[in-house]
Amino acid sequence: MVIENVLAAVNELATLQTVLLMMIGVAGGLIAGAIPGFTIAMAVVLTLPFTFGMPAAQGLATMVSVLVGGLSGGLMAGILTGIPGTPSSVATTFDGFPMARSGRPGLALGIGVWSSFSGGIISAILLMTLAPQLARVGLEFQPWDYFMLVMFALTITASLAGKHLVKGLIAGVVGLLVRAVGEDEAVGMARLDFGSEALLQGFDFIAVLIGLFAFSQLLHDIRDPKEARKTLSERGAVNVEIEHLAAIREIAKHWTLLIRSSLIGVFTGVLPGAGGSIANILAYDQAKKTSKTPEKFGTGTPEGIIAPESSNNAVEGGALMTLMALGIPGDVTAAVMLGALLIHDVVPSPTFIAEEPVLAYSIFIAFFVATFMMLGLQSVMLRVFVMVTKIRMYMLAAIILGFCGIGVYAINNVDLDLWTLLWFGILGFVMRHYGFPLAPMILGVVLGNIAELNLARAVAISTDLSPFVTRPWALFFLIVAGFSAAFPIYQAHRGRKKWTLFYLPMACFATAVPLVMMGGIPRPVLAAVVVAFGAYTLWRRAQSGWNLNPDEAEDLEIIEG
Amino acid sequence: MRRLNHDTVIAIFLILASGVLFWSTFSIRSPDYGVLAPSAWPRGIIIALAILSVIYLIQSLRREPVEGDVPKHPSGIKAWVVYWHNPIICFGLFFAYLITLPILGSLIGGVLFVFSLMCAIGGIAPRDVMSHAVLALVTVGGMWSIFTFGLDVILPTGVIFSPF
Repeated sequence: MVIENVLAAVNELATLQTVLLMMIGVAGGLIAGAIPGFTIAMAVVLTLPFTFGMPAAQGLATMVSVLVGGLSGGLMAGILTGIPGTPSSVATTFDGFPMARSGRPGLALGIGVWSSFSGGIISAILLMTLAPQLARVGLEFQPWDYFMLVMFALTITASLAGKHLVKGLIAGVVGLLVRAVGEDEAVGMARLDFGSEALLQGFDFIAVLIGLFAFSQLLHDIRDPKEARKTLSERGAVNVEIEHLAAIREIAKHWTLLIRSSLIGVFTGVLPGAGGSIANILAYDQAKKTSKTPEKFGTGTPEGIIAPESSNNAVEGGALMTLMALGIPGDVTAAVMLGALLIHDVVPSPTFIAEEPVLAYSIFIAFFVATFMMLGLQSVMLRVFVMVTKIRMYMLAAIILGFCGIGVYAINNVDLDLWTLLWFGILGFVMRHYGFPLAPMILGVVLGNIAELNLARAVAISTDLSPFVTRPWALFFLIVAGFSAAFPIYQAHRGRKKWTLFYLPMACFATAVPLVMMGGIPRPVLAAVVVAFGAYTLWRRAQSGWNLNPDEAEDLEIIEG
Repeated sequence: MRRLNHDTVIAIFLILASGVLFWSTFSIRSPDYGVLAPSAWPRGIIIALAILSVIYLIQSLRREPVEGDVPKHPSGIKAWVVYWHNPIICFGLFFAYLITLPILGSLIGGVLFVFSLMCAIGGIAPRDVMSHAVLALVTVGGMWSIFTFGLDVILPTGVIFSPF
C-alpha cells in the first residue's frame, strides 16, 4: 500500500515541468533565505499566488521546495557576512562567521550545507514514517479535543513571546477575531460587518498573511534610510568555493551530534509555534554542553555549525508532520502551507493521509527530493547570492511590494484583497513596532475557523460542556496549555523563587493524569515514566535542601539572549 | 501623575475597541436552527480580548517601560515625519496604486509604483533614476507576463489598455 502510494506520488511529480518548478523553488528559497530580513515564511507566502493555478501536487511541491531552499539559504549570509539570513540561522553565525574570518569560509559553508542536507534527510525520513502514525492518534480526537488542541497551539505560540506573554495572547485573540469577521461558516449569518459589503465577505486569509508578514516586514527593513540604501556586500567578503570533501569528513567525526541535533529540530517542529529560530539555539546550546571542548565554541568550531544547521532543516519535517497528521500547523511557515492546501480544496486532518495518500506522499517525496536539489544548487546559488548582495535593500523591497500588488490580486481576482493587504500591512507594521509578536496572530487567523467549527460540532453533539475537561485528550491539551502559559513566568523566576522548583514535577504529575485516563497499556506506562521522572526531580531537589540553582538560571538567560 | 506610556494607550484603545465590537455582536441574527449561536464565538473572543487588555493595562501602569521594548522616537512633528519617512512614503504610494488601479491597470500602475518608491527612498540622481526605471520595467513587466501569459490570470487592465 505504502509502495503503491509512493509510486503514484513519484508518477505525479516526475514531470519535467514539476522538476523545473521545484528547482526554481529551491533556488528562489536559497536566495530568499540568504537575504537578511527576508524570512522563509515570507518567501513561501509570496510563492502562494504562483501555485494556485497549478495542480495540487505540483503547487505544493513547488512550495515545499521554496521552504527547503529557504531553510538552507540562511547559512550563506550568516557564515559569509555574520548577519543571519533568517532567524533560523542565528546560531550558525556564532561559529560559522569566525571560521570564515579565520580563512576557512569554504569549509564553514561546506559543513553548513552538508549538515542542512543531513538534517533535512533525517527529518524527511521521520516525516514519512511518523506522520501516518500520528494521524492514527489524531483519529481518536473528537471536536472537544480539537478545540482544546487549537487553544493549546495558540497558548504555546504566545508563551514563546517570553516576557511579552500578554501581548502574544492578545495577538492570538486578534487573529481569531479577524477570522470571525464576515459570514459565519456554520449557518452563514453576517457578523462584525458594520453594514459594509466588503467586511461581509470577510478577509482573505492569504492577503492577511502576506500583509501581516511580508508587507510589514519589508517596511520594517527599510525604515532606516541609511540601512535601506546599503547592500549586503558592504558587510563582508562573499566570493568563495565550497569545500565538500573536508566538510563531509568533519561531519562524519560528529555524527552523533548531527543525529541528536536533527532530533531536537524535529521535536521542536512538532510543537505548535516553535520553529527553526528556537531549534537552532537549543541545538547549539546542547552541542556546547555535551562537547568535550566547550571553550572552542564561538571561535569557529565545526560542532557549532553542525548543530544549528542540522536542527533548523529538521524543524520543517516536524512542523509538516503535525500539519499533515492533525491539521494543526507547527509554525508560521506550516501555516502558510496550510493556506496552500486550502487553496487546492484540501483540508488537512487525521484522515488526510488516508483519504489523499497520493497528495500526502507527494509532499513527503517533494521534501525529500528538494533536500537533494538544495545540495546540488547551493554552489550555483552562492554565485547568484554574490550578485544579489550588490542590489540595495530598498530596491528589493520595492520590487517585492510590486509583486505583492500583483500576486495578491491574482488569488481571487478581487480588488478588496489588495486593500486587505494594505490594512494588514499597516497593522502588522504597528504591531511589530510595539512588540506584539505576529506568529500567534497568524496562527489565530489560520486556526480561527477550525476552533469555531469544532466548538459548534461539540455543542451540537451535546450541550454539556464537561467533556472539555473530562475527555482525556481535551484535558491533556488543557493541562499543557496551562503549563505553557505559565512557562514565561517560570522562566522569569527560575533560580530566584522557591516555587519554580515545583514547576517541572507538577507538570509531570498533571500530564500523567490524562495519559492514565486514556487507558490501554502504552499510555499508562508512559504516565508511570513521566511520574517517576517528576518524583525523581522532586527527590533530587529535596536532597539538595531545596536549593535554588543560580547556574541553571544563568544558562536559561544565555539561551534567551 | 506619571506620563502615559505607549502600552497604556494601546491597552485603553483595545478595551474601547472590545466594547464597540461587543456591542456590535447584538446585531448578529440568530437562526432558529443550530445550537451554537453565530454571536457566541465572536463574543467569547471579544471577552477574552477585553480581559487580556485589562491585564495589559494593569501591567503597563504598574511597571516602568523596559529599556529597548519600543524604539525611542524623536519628538516633534518634523522629526517624527523624518523618522517614519520611508514607511509613510511606502504606504502612501501603495494607497495611490490602489486608487489608480482601475485607471492605470496593474502593469502601468505596478511599474509606476515600484519606480516611484525606488526614487522616493533611493534618490533621484540621474543614474539612479535610470536604473530604477529599468528595474521597475523589467521586474513588474516580467511578473505581469508570468501571471497573464503563464498562469492565465486576468489582471486589471485599466482604462488605458482596455480598448486592446
